[in-house]
Amino acid sequence: MTRTLLPSVAALALLAAAGLLAPGDVTDEGRGAAPAPDLPPHARAPYGVPLSVAEGARLLAWDKDIERAAAAAEPGRFRKDGDTWVDARGEYAWDAEEEVYWQDVPASTLTRGRQDFVQFCSSCHGLQGDGYGRSARGLRPPPRSFLRSTFKFTKVPGAFLPNDDALLRLVQHGLDGTPMLPWAVSEQRLRDILQYVKSLSPEDSGWRDPTNEIGDVIYTPPDPVTDESHPKHPWYRQPEKAVAAGAEAYHKYQCWSCHPAYMTQKQLNALRGPSFADTAYDASLTYGKLKKDSSYEVLGYHVAIPAPDFTWHVLRYGRDAREVFQTIAAGIDGAGMPTWGRTDPDAKGSVPDEEIWAIAHYVRHLVATYQDQPAERAAFMAGVRSK
Amino acid sequence: MSPIRSRRARTALATLAALAALALAPATSAQQVVDRWRPNPPASSYGQRFDDLFLLITVLIGVSFAIVLVLLIVPVVRDRARPGHKASFDHGSSLHDKRFTAVVSVTVFIVLDAWVLVVAMKDLREGYWNMPRPDTPDVLRVEVLAQQWSWNFRTPGSDGELGTPDDVLSINQLTVPQDRPVALNVTSKDVIHSLFVPDMRVKRDANPGAINVAWFQPIKAGDFQILCAELCGYAHYQMHGKLHVLPAAQYDAWEQEASAIALAEHDPNDAEARWAWDFKE
Repeated sequence: MTRTLLPSVAALALLAAAGLLAPGDVTDEGRGAAPAPDLPPHARAPYGVPLSVAEGARLLAWDKDIERAAAAAEPGRFRKDGDTWVDARGEYAWDAEEEVYWQDVPASTLTRGRQDFVQFCSSCHGLQGDGYGRSARGLRPPPRSFLRSTFKFTKVPGAFLPNDDALLRLVQHGLDGTPMLPWAVSEQRLRDILQYVKSLSPEDSGWRDPTNEIGDVIYTPPDPVTDESHPKHPWYRQPEKAVAAGAEAYHKYQCWSCHPAYMTQKQLNALRGPSFADTAYDASLTYGKLKKDSSYEVLGYHVAIPAPDFTWHVLRYGRDAREVFQTIAAGIDGAGMPTWGRTDPDAKGSVPDEEIWAIAHYVRHLVATYQDQPAERAAFMAGVRSK
Repeated sequence: MSPIRSRRARTALATLAALAALALAPATSAQQVVDRWRPNPPASSYGQRFDDLFLLITVLIGVSFAIVLVLLIVPVVRDRARPGHKASFDHGSSLHDKRFTAVVSVTVFIVLDAWVLVVAMKDLREGYWNMPRPDTPDVLRVEVLAQQWSWNFRTPGSDGELGTPDDVLSINQLTVPQDRPVALNVTSKDVIHSLFVPDMRVKRDANPGAINVAWFQPIKAGDFQILCAELCGYAHYQMHGKLHVLPAAQYDAWEQEASAIALAEHDPNDAEARWAWDFKE
């Protein structure tokens, strides 16, 4: 009897000793910040990383979001006071002095956003949201820093801050050809993450700066190639005509000053008119150019990303002509690409809508015909580069 | 009245039918069914070896499994209780049984395991692990840097040297020539990943802080999947890329152009983007 019991007793004693010697629960001080009492099981992070947000944030709100909230809210919550909305719950508040709406995002929302941010986003965008996570090292293009409130490919003109819906679409779409994936996380969780990301704007910048304005996605008129209300349009159901017009417009608007040119120098000069007949270009004409002045700063030094070659590079957010149209029209905030379209239907853009549509079709044509087709692409580019 | 009277038998038959339907649908030919249950044909020089080994193991295990099943089922059916027959069972403690057990144990544990240890391990060591790369200087060296949740690839470009401005960098896309050995250095920035190209029958873990080597020699041109074979976090399932294998002449043209574009993109001030390491052969 003793012989069989002894090993068991010894083992139990060892276990008990191990339990006494092992560190107990980590105290709140050790964690850096008090964890929220009801952490979901996934909310684990490297030692010392705070997972809760103690204070709510007062962020700029978009008028259209408030109108939508008012339409969906229970009766009696929102009422009109003159031209502005008054929220009985106090979540949204009109600031008469700055003439903006503020949204008070509660700490609970930010904590949920923070926890998902740490789980999903921090490996690249950093635990502080500064764009310098563990996996960010050497990544080009570098992951966005959320401390600077500029976002590429939101389809919102660079003069404005993007609205939540535009950011949500971007996160769900992903950026092709980069590690920014199409995020299949539920919309509610993504919205909480976005609130947290917006709250990362430093004091008096981004969503905390009342002089900023939140904008809508660029005005997108119907595509003349598919627009059934204008069947008389010469491009209607004839994309090749739009592509031909786009080739001309692309070179006329000098897209090749950043992107590659897809014409021989002779053709290009013929298109530019008699005064350019003998213009000579350097070899970089048919390559994307590195623009130092539009570079992006990472931890104190600048990273320059060249404009894409449409026969070579994957388009970040341009799976069809419509997406390409919106990228061209809205421009790319934080890059060299200006806003080419018009922000609202009454304004006048620097390039007419129809020509942007033509260029969009041309770009999609280049992508579809030559990307991942090395033989065809080599033949095409050799032709372009011949004198 | 159904011809099959037992309810249990009917359930079993229905389950089997459902499984068969799952296995066959929506195939249009027997070939399709076969193709679905086996990996794609190998696209690398050593791929067929792995398939042969896989087949050998499957057959050996299948035969052993069948023998064990027969040994189990025959006594269960033969000695079961039925009208006029009492269930018989045996503790296996007679001298005969002990001898029998000893003989089987010696055969399995000593003879079989010794054979596995000596012969099979020798085959594995020389034929399947550390297979020598073809002894040719014409090797494409590729550095693979895994991260959550992407593959970063670096190929040397037309100067053949890694760590120079004309290196071709790509994310989730690797272009290699046909019929030339491709030497890989695999590592990771964050957690453990595993580079897996099923068609090439190559799989190598990417461990942070360690450089693991592997090689393959594509014998077919085409596009193949690159996968991550180590659960590496939330978006592990999205961590896949494409391997383009180009015929040699096309590859040379591609490499020249890719190098020219890489040179145009090279930013001398951006030292961090040049993450190459000394290639481990």
